[in-house]
Amino acid sequence: MKIKLDGKTIECKEGKTILDICEDNGIEIPKLCYIEGLKPEARCRLCLVEMNGELVTSCSTYPINGCEIITNSEKINKARMINAELLMAGHIHCSINNGTHELFNLIKELGMTRIRFEPIRQYEEDLSESVIRDNNKCINCGKCIRTCGEIMAVYAIDFAKRGFKEHVSPYYNHALHDVACIKCGQCIAACPVGAIYEREHLYEVIKALKTKKKHVVVQTAPSVRAALGEEFGMPAGSLVTGKMVAALKKCGFNKVFDTDLGADMTIMEEATEFLSRVKKNGPFPMITTCCPAWIKFMEHFEHSLFPNMSSCKSPHEMLGILIKTYYAKKAGINKKDIVVVSVMPCTAKKFESTRPELGSGVDYVLTTREAAKLIRNFKIDAQKSEISGTTESGFKNLKDEDFDDPLGESTGAGVMFGATGGVMEAALRTAYELGTGKSLKNVEFNEIRGTEGIKRGKVNIKGKEIKYAVAHGGANIRKLLEEKEKYHFIEMMACPGGCIGGGGQPWPTTKEIIEKRISAIYKQDRKLKIRKSHENPTVQRIYKEMLVKPNSKKAHKLLHTHYIKRSEF
Amino acid sequence: MQILKKTNLKAFEKAKKLGPKGIIKLLDEKGLTGRGGAAFPTGKKWDIAFKQKSDEKFVICNADEGEPGTFKDKFVIKNNPETLVEGILIAAYTINAKHAFIYLRGEYENLKNNLQKVVNKVLKKSKSKLKIDIILGAGSYVCGDETAIIKSLEGFRGHPYYKPPYPPVEGLFGKPTIINNVETLASVPQAILFEDWDEDLRLVSLSGNVTKPGVYELPAGYNLCDLIKLGKPEKKIKAVYFGCFGGCMPYCEIKLTPENVCGKNCAIGTYTIIAVDEKQSILDLAYSIAKFYEYESCGKCTPCREGTKRVLELLEKIKEGKATKDDLETLKDLAEHIHETSLCGLGQTCTNHLLTALQYFKDEFEEAIK
Repeated sequence: MKIKLDGKTIECKEGKTILDICEDNGIEIPKLCYIEGLKPEARCRLCLVEMNGELVTSCSTYPINGCEIITNSEKINKARMINAELLMAGHIHCSINNGTHELFNLIKELGMTRIRFEPIRQYEEDLSESVIRDNNKCINCGKCIRTCGEIMAVYAIDFAKRGFKEHVSPYYNHALHDVACIKCGQCIAACPVGAIYEREHLYEVIKALKTKKKHVVVQTAPSVRAALGEEFGMPAGSLVTGKMVAALKKCGFNKVFDTDLGADMTIMEEATEFLSRVKKNGPFPMITTCCPAWIKFMEHFEHSLFPNMSSCKSPHEMLGILIKTYYAKKAGINKKDIVVVSVMPCTAKKFESTRPELGSGVDYVLTTREAAKLIRNFKIDAQKSEISGTTESGFKNLKDEDFDDPLGESTGAGVMFGATGGVMEAALRTAYELGTGKSLKNVEFNEIRGTEGIKRGKVNIKGKEIKYAVAHGGANIRKLLEEKEKYHFIEMMACPGGCIGGGGQPWPTTKEIIEKRISAIYKQDRKLKIRKSHENPTVQRIYKEMLVKPNSKKAHKLLHTHYIKRSEF
Repeated sequence: MQILKKTNLKAFEKAKKLGPKGIIKLLDEKGLTGRGGAAFPTGKKWDIAFKQKSDEKFVICNADEGEPGTFKDKFVIKNNPETLVEGILIAAYTINAKHAFIYLRGEYENLKNNLQKVVNKVLKKSKSKLKIDIILGAGSYVCGDETAIIKSLEGFRGHPYYKPPYPPVEGLFGKPTIINNVETLASVPQAILFEDWDEDLRLVSLSGNVTKPGVYELPAGYNLCDLIKLGKPEKKIKAVYFGCFGGCMPYCEIKLTPENVCGKNCAIGTYTIIAVDEKQSILDLAYSIAKFYEYESCGKCTPCREGTKRVLELLEKIKEGKATKDDLETLKDLAEHIHETSLCGLGQTCTNHLLTALQYFKDEFEEAIK
């Protein structure tokens, strides 16, 4: 098919929208309600272009053979401007929550100088333990709703009322903490204007850091190191482990520990649990429990899975409790004086840290975004340039530092927890070697890597064929559950891409960025000398000195948990 | 009146003999077009749905007549429901649908019982296995849009979506679906059965400042002045509104055809005439209509959701005498913008009344600004 695009005749494939064609040809079109991979709704009306002289939304319109498309004209500019003006006037502009504001950027690009209408909406904030929504800042683009429903298959929010009174609301007009929301925070990642954000623990952490009597310890999740750099202007996929540790030490944390070690502990417990299920022949499939959003998903919607769930706590909770027992004893500090802060890519971890059944292993959870805010708050990032007098990012220039002893040693297996398929791969490395007594020739399980929605594979352990599967994204989880009987071992991660695409990660998080972060994680795994959890000397020491062996009585008391039935509504 | 003629299932018998292709051909020859506003040829619509290969197809009768000043479908449902149901039977037979819906306007709840009885009676008499469900709308104006009806029937919010795909290709639950207006479906059996059936006859809903409002059956191209005379107005008529979406124009000698009326930037789709006499203020009317659209906007797309509210604000300001010339410019800008960039028929037409009022009665607005 031939069309004329901005005066140039081009060849294009059928079945592509005007928006696709424009982007293929390097023409950028503004859009606020568009979600990659979902059917466009054409709500925001900002992607308007002219087709044969008529205004059409490029996201939802397919070109007619031989048509003429113009992407930049007085008419288009005016129409886009009025729509941007209407949206801007309809909400309170605020970019502090997730660090950016697409509409505001667009308005700058359009060169708009006036807004002729007054903001008049008035709503109350909708609060929960981890996610907060503010409808006053909302522009009704519907991205959070579609993400919650079509990508996460949770359907906790939708539009209520109509016309100018239309607003996003959890069902039955409940508050967010009263509904079946899994707290994954993908709505935060989707929101273009910062109307949804995490419940901040930032000020509590700063207060703790400034309290002299407190011994404040921080641990960082595997996927934070592959994303934090983006907050300071570094390209996606930059691995900033050393700089992150250095910056956190400068913030005044007494110790910086590595959640990867908690991941290694999780693998020891989980792989052992799995091997004992293999011995007892069930119940299968065993399903991983590292993801707190998946746990809440299961507690709301999949009650029949209770016997299938591993009883392991998530890695940061494991490390949290080890800090307050093992480390406290070793360092001779009263555990009441220890404050454990987790830096996580995740908002569901905030909810998790309030679960009474987990005890008080972790006190505060910061998202990756909050960690960046903390670092800025302590002026570590700002470095005055002597020549120009302007401030520039100092984070990039920090000298790398190492995690602290005794809980800072980790393996490639632990690092992989950040990517979808990583937990399974780490568990298989250990389960295979512990189960067979042989060492693996190739430790990389390529069939469960990558961003495919559902991944499957099999391995032979002592003559028994073990089938395993990995799913990420709520909709894929639901799909995999339909065929769950086929498998022995399943890894579930609520967020698309795994933790690396979590709701607490720097903004924006697109498929392309997720892939770059994942490749950084695997690069780290390849670089590390020890790539299997059971070979981690610290792990071995902890069992020797305190827990005896995996799944022992003591280990069960500290590192395992149980689940709670929650209603579907 | 032609629309009140009963066909007593004889048209259905004849249709079965003609077969689907014969029915479509006959409707094409008779020139039946949709009476819901868009005037799409009925035979063509059915033909598209007929040609789709699918395990399931649906027929929907659009009885969600929400346009202010329009009440012709109610007239048909009240006075000739048997023929309407027969029309649905023929439609379902033509495209081989097993399930049909009558999407009845929420405010017409009082018609439901009787309509249900007629449906049962006709289905029994015709020995057809078709299932016809009457679904009551919840009172939303936008659910008169065919895509919004589909969403509503599927159990979602009654939000319209963009086309294509058009319903005859991909409609209710993703299956080929024909959606026809009440008047259209009731005309189908008559067009099939009667040799002298006249496509030119239209139902006109007349209301406003007249003493004899009601439904009139008139040939297309009837003179507006003659029509108003039928309504026996007491005072001098100043303007006519073609429903709310059709816009307004000064009262004059004009033949009521789509072409003539379109020339005046109005739209006549459903043949709704609201007469306005010289005592009325166009500004007040504009405000009332703007309030109606602000209330009925579904909220999906930006220009309609935000724009209708701002239009109302500006009109209020003008009415209160607080507005400036700039405000009037903004109002016009905004009205044009909503018309050009909205997603569905509601948004695209909801400022027609304002644009035409600003064209023909600008002095009334300017007076309020002084």
